[in-house]
Amino acid sequence: MSTTPVLPTDSPGAGVIYTETIVHAPPEQFAADAPYQLVVVTLDSGGRLTARIAGDRVGIGDPVDFAEFRIGIPFFQKKS
Amino acid sequence: MRPVAVIGVGKTPFGAFPDQDIRSLAVAAGQACLADAHVSPSKVEAFYLGNFAGPSFVGQNHLAPYIAGAMGITGVPCTRFEAACASSGSAFFHAVSAVGAGLYDLALVTGVEKMTSQSTPKVTEILAGAGDMCGEGRAGATFPALFAMIARRHMYQYGTTREQMAAVAVKNHANGAKNPQAHMRKVITMEQALNGKPIAEPLTVYDCSLISDGAAAVLIAPLERASEYSADPVRVLGIAQTSDQVALDQKADITTFIAVQQAAQKAYKMAGVTAKDIQFAELHDCFTIAEIVAMEDLGFVEKGQGGPYVLEGRTCLKGERPINTSGGLKSKGHPVGATGVAQICDVALQIRGEAGERQVARHSLGLAQNLGGSGATAVVTILSAA
Repeated sequence: MSTTPVLPTDSPGAGVIYTETIVHAPPEQFAADAPYQLVVVTLDSGGRLTARIAGDRVGIGDPVDFAEFRIGIPFFQKKS
Repeated sequence: MRPVAVIGVGKTPFGAFPDQDIRSLAVAAGQACLADAHVSPSKVEAFYLGNFAGPSFVGQNHLAPYIAGAMGITGVPCTRFEAACASSGSAFFHAVSAVGAGLYDLALVTGVEKMTSQSTPKVTEILAGAGDMCGEGRAGATFPALFAMIARRHMYQYGTTREQMAAVAVKNHANGAKNPQAHMRKVITMEQALNGKPIAEPLTVYDCSLISDGAAAVLIAPLERASEYSADPVRVLGIAQTSDQVALDQKADITTFIAVQQAAQKAYKMAGVTAKDIQFAELHDCFTIAEIVAMEDLGFVEKGQGGPYVLEGRTCLKGERPINTSGGLKSKGHPVGATGVAQICDVALQIRGEAGERQVARHSLGLAQNLGGSGATAVVTILSAA
């Protein structure tokens, strides 16, 4: 991977699941993570973000909270 | 702009060809095309190459003169166009623009991709580079994942079903089985299509197009000179290329490809036709959901009605508007950089009445729709009998 992105550090806050999938056939660099849930979150603060889910599976319309960044990847989890 | 015509077409079979490299594939398609038009390489005034990721797949850069030179074409502008899966659609658009503007009389447009020398995970990683590698790509999005998320949202908003998506695969495999140049000449059943190995839920392996090697070429000329070369030239009646944001999460509504809608409206206006006039089409079915969304964005059906339209059989070979008579990307194969020009070849063959077992009854006005990434590039071309 030749792209060197700037890693985000600010919490994107809470949001609602806009769409989701479970990835079974990952790109080479994420082989160890599969299967994993990938989502697009509509953020309460505006805009959308592509992220991963930690913990329980979510569906469209589910409210989620930001959990953490792992190597620059934003992880959300189902609102408890 | 002066009218432009396709005066020659040429394709290699699509498939996995360990004995062919990127250059030999492109040269074979180009030579077949020049032979079809009875034109020698020395007459070609400009060479347009569509290729997505030759540097990543096979480590070769400077591809346009590399391939043109092997065909005996030198001393003319040779340029590679990259627009993800719409690379050769874009090359074709720019070639038509240049010939239409009067810069050249004879331009050769070739598309090629050599993909099968890499492992599937590596191909997946290279293809992901057509998305936003600082956003969705970094989070682990693959192209199947992006279209799976489009499918989920389309199912949520419009009630589109797994059966409707599977019907795209069943239809396209039935067509591809009749295409001697298709990658996977195999009829599949609805039951098979619904029970494939999951790739990115809800998409299974049967919802995904193929990883293929292959090349395609077309020769274009001003319409006024077309009869010098071809007994049955095919007119480029309308064409447009438009763009949108690359990242899926930057689009307002992911169930619509805005760029396709815009390109279609421009192409219809240029051609002086409407969606209902289009008799048959080659659409960019990189995933089954993409064919459903494309039919809606092109105005063939109302938004949300693409799924029922295909499940009712109205787009099969004998239906009211046959779609992907070649087998589409699903069965014919999807050597990414070759796909746009291959679609033009397949529409032209139908118009010329040379589609063999796949020949449709009404074949004087056809459309090709080529999509780059998750909709950031769209090329729509309308072809007619001259």
